[in-house]
Amino acid sequence: MKVAVVGGSGFVGGELLRLLVRHPDVEVVQVTSDSMAGQAVSRAHPNLRKVSPLRFTPHASLGRADATFVATPHGESMERVPELLHSGGLVIDLSADYRLHDPEQYPTYYGRPHPHPDLLPKSVYGLPELHRDELRTAAIIAVPGCIATASILALRPLVAAGWVGAGPVVVDAKSGSSASGRDAGPAGLHAERSGVMRAYAPTGHRHTAEIEQETGVPVALSCHGVEAVRGVLATVHAPAAQPVDDKALWRAYRAAYGEEPFVRIVHEADGVYREPEPKILAGTNLCEVGFAVDPHAQRIVALGALDNLMKGAAGGAVQCFNLRAGFPETTGLDFLGLHPI
Amino acid sequence: MTLCPECEAAVVNHDLIAGEIFPCVDCGTDLEVTTLEPFAVQTAPKEAEDWGE
Repeated sequence: MKVAVVGGSGFVGGELLRLLVRHPDVEVVQVTSDSMAGQAVSRAHPNLRKVSPLRFTPHASLGRADATFVATPHGESMERVPELLHSGGLVIDLSADYRLHDPEQYPTYYGRPHPHPDLLPKSVYGLPELHRDELRTAAIIAVPGCIATASILALRPLVAAGWVGAGPVVVDAKSGSSASGRDAGPAGLHAERSGVMRAYAPTGHRHTAEIEQETGVPVALSCHGVEAVRGVLATVHAPAAQPVDDKALWRAYRAAYGEEPFVRIVHEADGVYREPEPKILAGTNLCEVGFAVDPHAQRIVALGALDNLMKGAAGGAVQCFNLRAGFPETTGLDFLGLHPI
Repeated sequence: MTLCPECEAAVVNHDLIAGEIFPCVDCGTDLEVTTLEPFAVQTAPKEAEDWGE
């Protein structure tokens, strides 16, 4: 299958290429980047040296492919996706531009009305654990945000079981610096970023809308940057609608994810990594979910951990692509991570 | 089916012997084989020895 990557010079673009050049059923035919047009992809992604002979081409030269992964910044896909759809190929958009079903949400969270609200019903939210069957026939796949993925996968079993009580669910998320992208600006300079525990979005983070859309419960999201390159840990504080215990939580999470290839339930009695931890998930397409009961505060704490560039972006995109293309869902995504790292 | 008493994961007898202690594959709790026929387990005591005290 011939695929193209639009916006291939960023961190997510690099992860897409790393996965796709070794995918047994894929030929990467084009990678675009206006800022790096003409340069070898290994200039932006040195881990691909002597692996891929591809060079970046300008966006304007994009040709037709069987599938196109769009990894441009939020806002750019809104205009690009209709052209790609018209060409007849599958579109996998890694930006936020087609994630929200309700067009009214775009001015609130993305600062502008959606220019093509008629296309939003054609888009499927790219979380196979929730939308596997719809993804098999999707015209547009909207790959979720990294914090949203960790939060939704952690929270969803509690909602399904009816255990979330009244009031907003508080999500406290920490993320590594690569989540800011390759052009993070002054806030991403080593002198400014190193050592921080920065509350960069105590309220109003854009992923709030996605989490509410996919879980159906009101969410209060606070986001922090921490001293890591990769990784997201979402700590979800849900008011308990009724008393629950560990065994009931195990049952609920097993019911949700017992057969999922990329979700691991982690809540162990002993050891260093007793609860989900993004550190050991770097480079993998795994999301670890866990839980703990707090009877004192009548809350349930759920945890979601992942690599923001993998299950939170490129890995999730390839998982969706595999489903849509009819390949085994895990193709090209079998890396188990490193320990120690 | 034998279940972990802590997390209710299915516990399978892979050449275990009576009295053997092994971790649950899901929650990591140390389990002790109490009987083989029928196969039954319990949460292993944290400290079962008195070490001569």
